[in-house]
Amino acid sequence: MKKRSGILTVCLLAVCLLSGCGSPEQGTAESTGEKVFYYGDTTFNAENDEKDVNPHNGYSGWACIRYGIGETLFKYSDSMELEPWLATGYELVDENTWVVTLRDGVTFTSGRAMDAEAVKECLDHLVEVHERAKGDLKIREITADGQTLTIRTQEPVPALMNYLADPYGCIIDMQAGITEDGNVSGTGPYRATEVETDVGLTLVKNENFWNGTPKLDTIYVRTITDGDTMTMAMQTGELDAAYGLPYSSLSLFANDPYTISSVETSRSFFAQMNYATEALQDPNVRAAIAGAIDKEGFTQVLLEGNGSAANGPFPESFAFGDASVTAQPYDPEESRRLLAASGWTDTDGDGYVDKDGEILSIRWLTYPSRQELPLLAESVQASLKEIGILVEVNCTANHLDFIENGEWDIYASAFVCAPTGDPEYFFTTHCLDDSTKNRGGYHSDRLEELEEQMSGTFDPEERAVLATKMTQTILDDNAFVFASHLKMSIVSGEGVTGLTAHPCDYYEITVDLDKN
Amino acid sequence: MKRYILKRVLQLVPILFGITLLSFILMNVGTADVIDVMESSTGSALTEEEKQEMREELGLDRPLPEQYGRWLLRALQGDMGESFVSGRPVFPEFVSKLPATISLTVSSVLVTILISVPLGILSAVRQNHFTDYLIRFLSFIGNSLPNFFVSLLLIYFFSLKLGLFPVMGSSGGWKSIVLPTLTLAIAMASKYTRQVRAAVLEELKKDYVTGARARGVRERKILFGSVLKTSMLTIITLLALSVGSLLGGTAIVESIFMWDGVGKMAVDAIAMRDYPVIQAYVIWMAVIYVVINLATDLIYHYLDPRIRLGQEEA
Repeated sequence: MKKRSGILTVCLLAVCLLSGCGSPEQGTAESTGEKVFYYGDTTFNAENDEKDVNPHNGYSGWACIRYGIGETLFKYSDSMELEPWLATGYELVDENTWVVTLRDGVTFTSGRAMDAEAVKECLDHLVEVHERAKGDLKIREITADGQTLTIRTQEPVPALMNYLADPYGCIIDMQAGITEDGNVSGTGPYRATEVETDVGLTLVKNENFWNGTPKLDTIYVRTITDGDTMTMAMQTGELDAAYGLPYSSLSLFANDPYTISSVETSRSFFAQMNYATEALQDPNVRAAIAGAIDKEGFTQVLLEGNGSAANGPFPESFAFGDASVTAQPYDPEESRRLLAASGWTDTDGDGYVDKDGEILSIRWLTYPSRQELPLLAESVQASLKEIGILVEVNCTANHLDFIENGEWDIYASAFVCAPTGDPEYFFTTHCLDDSTKNRGGYHSDRLEELEEQMSGTFDPEERAVLATKMTQTILDDNAFVFASHLKMSIVSGEGVTGLTAHPCDYYEITVDLDKN
Repeated sequence: MKRYILKRVLQLVPILFGITLLSFILMNVGTADVIDVMESSTGSALTEEEKQEMREELGLDRPLPEQYGRWLLRALQGDMGESFVSGRPVFPEFVSKLPATISLTVSSVLVTILISVPLGILSAVRQNHFTDYLIRFLSFIGNSLPNFFVSLLLIYFFSLKLGLFPVMGSSGGWKSIVLPTLTLAIAMASKYTRQVRAAVLEELKKDYVTGARARGVRERKILFGSVLKTSMLTIITLLALSVGSLLGGTAIVESIFMWDGVGKMAVDAIAMRDYPVIQAYVIWMAVIYVVINLATDLIYHYLDPRIRLGQEEA
């Protein structure tokens, strides 16, 4: 009897535990005839600093805007130029004063009308709690009058309107507040009803959306870290669409009923030279390395066409992008000649060039969390061997320690070079004397001068011209070698329309998304 | 008995102190901290001032002994602090992941027992017959396949081809636990089938079995009445270790099946140097092993009263 009750207890325990494994979403929506959409994503997680949908918290603004919860005052066109969104326009009164006119008839999901006072409250809170926004916007004072917002800055901020289009600039209702789980009331076509870090979120349509009627009743966004799981979930139809599928899986979705939307983004994969390394102080050696990297082979073969060979930090879709600059062309013969001109020749026939008895070897440091970077390291190792340079690859999650200790010669990384569509950000973070990510100690008088001009230039066209000159400067010095731009792909399943990849990488779920 | 249990529980105190201190030291060996790692993983650039402010906010600017002391003081008051990465309180976050981990542990251990005990006994009874060879061959295969590969095979056949179970753990109700359970159970059952076989064979060779057979006791009664009970001591030791390891989470299986358990949480925390979460995990693991070892000793005592507990031996 005791044994039987013991077994019964174990069985009951198992049933109780297993019954807790189900998902509340199961079978609810389809049975009521609602339009339900399942979206797989790799990015909604704390590791990406996207813990929730509160735009005032780290990089969570990306989730807020990506999933159609929040909108910014201005947005980017397909060519990354500013367009009105919640604002209808702006006027630069003087170097430090901007007047922004807001759109009429917009309401938050809380029901409150979006006016200048609401936007002021939101931006005041943003610069109070968000270090990056505070540093970018440099806001001294905001005043509100009806639908007119006046922003005064502490110093000239030529890219202020671009910064306001950054996802952290999503306008949310501060009177409705930010919930404990990081949920907010925005103006987008959807509102979140459930937010669970690292797991996903549930969205329902915003019935009072100002710019059309959202077509889906409920959207379940699921964070999926394993690429194979995401691939097979797309194949079984558990997902209607997926963002961030592994490159190797994309060919499975090349034909009907699937559609792939791809676009070049400003997330670039590039290498920077360490000027503390004696060999790399020689311009010929840097040029030889830059000219021996087979970018086309890397993007077409190793990335299976899911990337484009880069000249500089910005893709062609930008006015100051790749079309306007020239990089060291791929020419191994010329690279060998350059090395020989600097005294690097293969004197002992071992396949590697040497000088004063030392072979030319490079410590290539990179990290594995971006699937492209280890592939780039392997590709470079093979390419540089062709011209007699030995590459020792160090691909480690601990890369920051190696940088700190100076144990590297070339560091390859991934970076979103123009997250707000403005070029200055890349140079101020990577290329100037006081840039935090100028890890190799690069210095150029010309670049410093150009930046001086850039920081006081407001006209977007003039800024584009300056950006082109600045890019050309760092390319002429071969201080950086840009290998490729990330091609972002979103795969949609049968009947899905209105899901398009955008160069800025953060417009995904919009009012146009539908499933039939 | 009560004194024995109390003593074992008290042993936890120095263990917890030692391992939390050790893990704290190890996590601080590198020069990069959670702020550097987050900056790198988001592909963004923070100024040194911004980083410094964030460090001050998290208390990472203080000397290491002070950081550990502060954490310890809060932990002693039952406050495990907030995650550096998510900013949420660690304890409720950690506890919210436990049901998934515990349910997967229970289900996979049950399935393991249901597979390995009958097959192990069958293999022993049919020693050197075709059945024995077949079971040993299958257990060899099951032992050789890594978890991630078994997961993908199961998903491919049962989800993609047959459509019986969902791919994603979070979207299939009770069905969602079947494939992760099978993934874990296949590897464990393969190992335990061989252990059960070996233990049963050893017992079958003992004198009391020969004596029982000579007295005409039925083979089934010898097997299930005596041999199995004695063999269970070996099996329980192994199972206890497995339960401990399973309760610590299975990061790969959790990632593949989107099973929201503590294993993936721990691995992510280590990658991000999220020290408060790591410490919570370390404490959880220590408690698990102490409790499971204690439970194992008590079960030993129950199964074979000749085995004495701790002080009773003295």
